[in-house]
Parts: sequence; C-alpha cells; structure tokens
Amino acid sequence: MENENFEQRTDLSKLNTAVEQIKASLGKIIVGQHQVIELVIAGILADGHILIEGVPGVAKTLTAKLVAKSIDAQYSRIQFTPDLMPSDVLGTSVFNTKTGEFEYKKGPVFGNIILIDEINRAPAKTQAALFEVMEERQITMDGEAYKMQEPFIVLATQNPVEQEGTYRLPEAQLDRFLFKIEIAYPSLEEEITIITQQHQQKTADQLAEINAVLQAADIVSLRQTVRGLHVEEKILAFVARIIHETRNNKSLYLGGSPRASLAVVNAAKAIAAIAGRDFVTPDDIVKVAAPVLRHRIMLTPDKEMEGVSPDDVIAQIIQKIEIPR
Amino acid sequence: MAALSCFAKTDTVAKKKPAVVRYDTASVAIRHFDATAINEFKKQPEFNYNDNYSGPSLWTRFWKWFWSLFDFGKTTTGYSRFWVWVGRILKYLVIVGGVGALVLLILKSAGIDLGLFRKRSRSAGIPYGEFDENIHEIDFAKDIEQAASAGNYKLAVRLLYLRTLKQLNDNGLIEWQPNKTNQAYVMELSNSPNQDIFKQLTNQFEYVWYGDFAVTGDSYKNISQMFGSFKEGRS
Repeated sequence: MENENFEQRTDLSKLNTAVEQIKASLGKIIVGQHQVIELVIAGILADGHILIEGVPGVAKTLTAKLVAKSIDAQYSRIQFTPDLMPSDVLGTSVFNTKTGEFEYKKGPVFGNIILIDEINRAPAKTQAALFEVMEERQITMDGEAYKMQEPFIVLATQNPVEQEGTYRLPEAQLDRFLFKIEIAYPSLEEEITIITQQHQQKTADQLAEINAVLQAADIVSLRQTVRGLHVEEKILAFVARIIHETRNNKSLYLGGSPRASLAVVNAAKAIAAIAGRDFVTPDDIVKVAAPVLRHRIMLTPDKEMEGVSPDDVIAQIIQKIEIPR
Repeated sequence: MAALSCFAKTDTVAKKKPAVVRYDTASVAIRHFDATAINEFKKQPEFNYNDNYSGPSLWTRFWKWFWSLFDFGKTTTGYSRFWVWVGRILKYLVIVGGVGALVLLILKSAGIDLGLFRKRSRSAGIPYGEFDENIHEIDFAKDIEQAASAGNYKLAVRLLYLRTLKQLNDNGLIEWQPNKTNQAYVMELSNSPNQDIFKQLTNQFEYVWYGDFAVTGDSYKNISQMFGSFKEGRS
C-alpha cells in the first residue's frame, strides 16, 4: 500500500510478488477460498504451523498439497491412522549388523513442509510425539537432539471432531498450531465453477499445473522481513487486552495462553506484510484473532451445549474492547 | 419267704476309701504386670476414666451463644410471638445458607463449577490514554491548532481523523462506535461516493498513528489539506 506523504521503510516488493504468484497459482485450481489461501500464506510467513479443518470433500488436503507444491522445499506427507506409532513419525534406532551399532533412521517428519493428513485420526500417544518437533523444531532420540531444517512447516488437515473415527487433539498440541483455518462449503456460484473446471480439465493430475514460485531459502528470508515489522505499543496492549479478556470471559473454560498473544502479533505482522504495510493496525489483529484463538480457547460445557461457537465468543470479546485510535 | 430270700443279700455298697489330700507341689512362675507399660497407658487420656466434667466445651458454648442471637422473642414479661417467628425464620435461613455453602464447597472441591460466584467479565485495566475520550466532546478546531503549533503533528493527524469520523457520524453516513475498526467504517461507506477519499484519509492516519512514520511540517500541510477538503466537501 503506497502513501505519497511517506517513504517506504521496508522493501516488501519481493514478498508481495511471491504472495501474488502463490495466490495466482492456487487460484488456478482452488475456486474461491481467498481468505483460506491468504491465511495459509500468512501462517507460512509468520513461521507457524497450520491446522486446516473441514468436512470431507472441501479440498483441505488439496489446498495443503498445492501450497507445498508452490514452494520448492523438501516435502513429506504422513497419513495419520489409528494404528500409527510415534516411531512411524519420528523415526527409530535400527541395529546395524555391519557396524554392530544402533543407527537412527529418520522418520518422515524430517523435511521442510510436512503434510499431516487427517491428523485427528491418530490417538494421543502419536500426537504427543509431535509436541517437541512442533515447538522446538527438534527431535530428541536416544539422548541426541536432531534439529529440523529451516523452514519447518506442519500443514495438518482434520475433520471436525464430531465426525466418526476422530479424536480430539490434546490442548498442548492445538496451542502449537498458529492457525486453525476452517474451510466452509463453497457458494453455489463457486460450486458451479468447480464442476465446470473439473469437467473441462484434460489431465487428471491437477498438481502438474502448479510450479514452485519460492525456494526454501526465500521463505527464511521473507520470515526475517516479517519479523522486523513495526508494532505500536498500543496495538500490543490491544492484543494483551483481547487475550486477557478470554481468561475472564464467563463463556470460556480455558482462555488464551501467552503463546496465543505472541501468535496473534506474529500472524498480524504477516497479514500486514501481505497487505503491503510494514506496520500492524488493529484491523490486522481483528482479522487474525479468530483463526489464532478458536482452537486455543475452550467453551464451558453449557455454552457448548447451547451451540455457541468459539468464533462467536471471540467476536463478542473484540466488540467489548475499544480500538486504540 | 423263699421268694424274698433271693433278695436277701448283704449290702453291696462299696465303702469309700478315705480321701487323701494331694498337694500340687509344682513350682508356679508368677507373672506381674509391666509397671512401665501400665504407667504409659495411664498417661494416655483414652484410659483416663476420671469424670472431671467441667461444663460444655467452648465449641458447644459458641453455638449456644450463636443460636441465642436469634432468640428475639424473649422479653421481661414473657415471649413475643412475632419475634419468636422472626428468630426461627432467621435460624432456618442461616441453616439453609450454611448447607448451601457446604454443598458448593464440596462441588468446587470435586471440580464442578456452577459459575455462581465467577467474576463478571471485565475489561483488563491496561491504560491506553486515549480511551476516556468522547469525540463529541472534543473541541477539534482548538486542539488541532494547539497540536500543530506545538509541532505535535502526529497528534494533529489523529485529531483530524477523529473529526472526520465525527463528521461522518453526524451526517448519518457511519455509526460511530469505539470498538469498530477503521476498515469497518470504510465498509460502511461502501455505497457512498466518500468511500475512496475516506480510505485515503484512513491510510494517512494509519501511517502516522500505527506506523509511527515521522510527520514533517510539509507532509502535515499536505495531510491537513486532504482532511480539510474532505471536511469542506461534507459540510
């Protein structure tokens, strides 16, 4: 966003070009879902992990695969199943008969972009294996720490917990996801476009149309830029008030953690950068509040039974707080 | 006689031998109570059967005094029925309240929160400085002039923007609410020809107020003119 009265302090041209390319690339296949795509890009720029939730058939996995394809980095996919073991994710020590020693065989979690499909189909034991790697970006195995390569992004998809054969993810793990993005059903016009596109498509492989527009090193550099954006103190106080309010709200059993406060600020920085600004506005905070907080807060049982959603409560909380102006 | 003679036998009851007293001369080991153990037992209050009752305990006396507080009806001439009933009702209320408190305490310790005594949701006491303002009470002309002449262009731009919001609200184009974001106001003007220019003004304000961009005298002049022409156009 240009302003003739002020000179740009930060060069965001590379970032904005890359974002536009990714959007254009994904827009070829994904119909609509502009907000979902923007949030996924923001999540990647904010150095966060992303959880995509939606009922079967709304292109959760396809979105994640397309994002992964548009970045030239080591991609790995893990299909979570009820019988998956932690060692199937992290890797395991195998005895080498030639050397007579145990050797660590790395699991599929070693990579830059990890697509965990149907994450909530594996039980808590396997979920717990992801705690360390998602937060600390390392794995400790047999007393030795193995660092993940930068960038390390977990893109996970899940069905809503009400669906058959799913488990509720542990709170500690949910807190490690920067965003929980909910994919809704497309509108009627969008649905018609989807059917028409599929009908006219000559090849079955949709992914073949997507080319990588960013290198892994570019992501690291863009993240550095996003991290350096300006955030006024009054905006930080605004974030703190929102999170504080979640802890005192009578509709909530569990409020946001300090990690949630940091996540809101980091995500808002990425949204500001995508908008072409090198500073954060209250609008950026409001925009990211629901995707950052909806999986971190817990409704009281009575509110859950009343059918109130976390997004409703977040909106109510924000409405109660004065915008710093 | 002959028949009887068959029974005529001599008395056959045996004569007992005289009793002989035999003395148990075996040695007997006499067992004595352990004096130390007995003394130990004696020290324990559970084995003290001395009935030294010295009246009701402090606890009993407290409750007796407590319930006497509700004994309103007693007068020098007898009992007043009305006050007796007041006292009784109060007694029952205290009992019900006490039982209720006990139940709540048990539920709370069991992790069941009924939310009866939860703190009402309230805003965190983080001061912003600008929060107590009401845009309808600000003397914009004076305050903007003061800020600009003091070289506080940042504040002057903020006041210019607030004046614009007030103006739009007064004209019924937006509905001013302290909790609405700037983009919410831009969206409210979606069917108005003012939307584009208001968007530009919002952009100026955001660069200065949230972006902390330095405002020079010249740039302030430009910004002030933009706000001024919008004001003129609206009034």
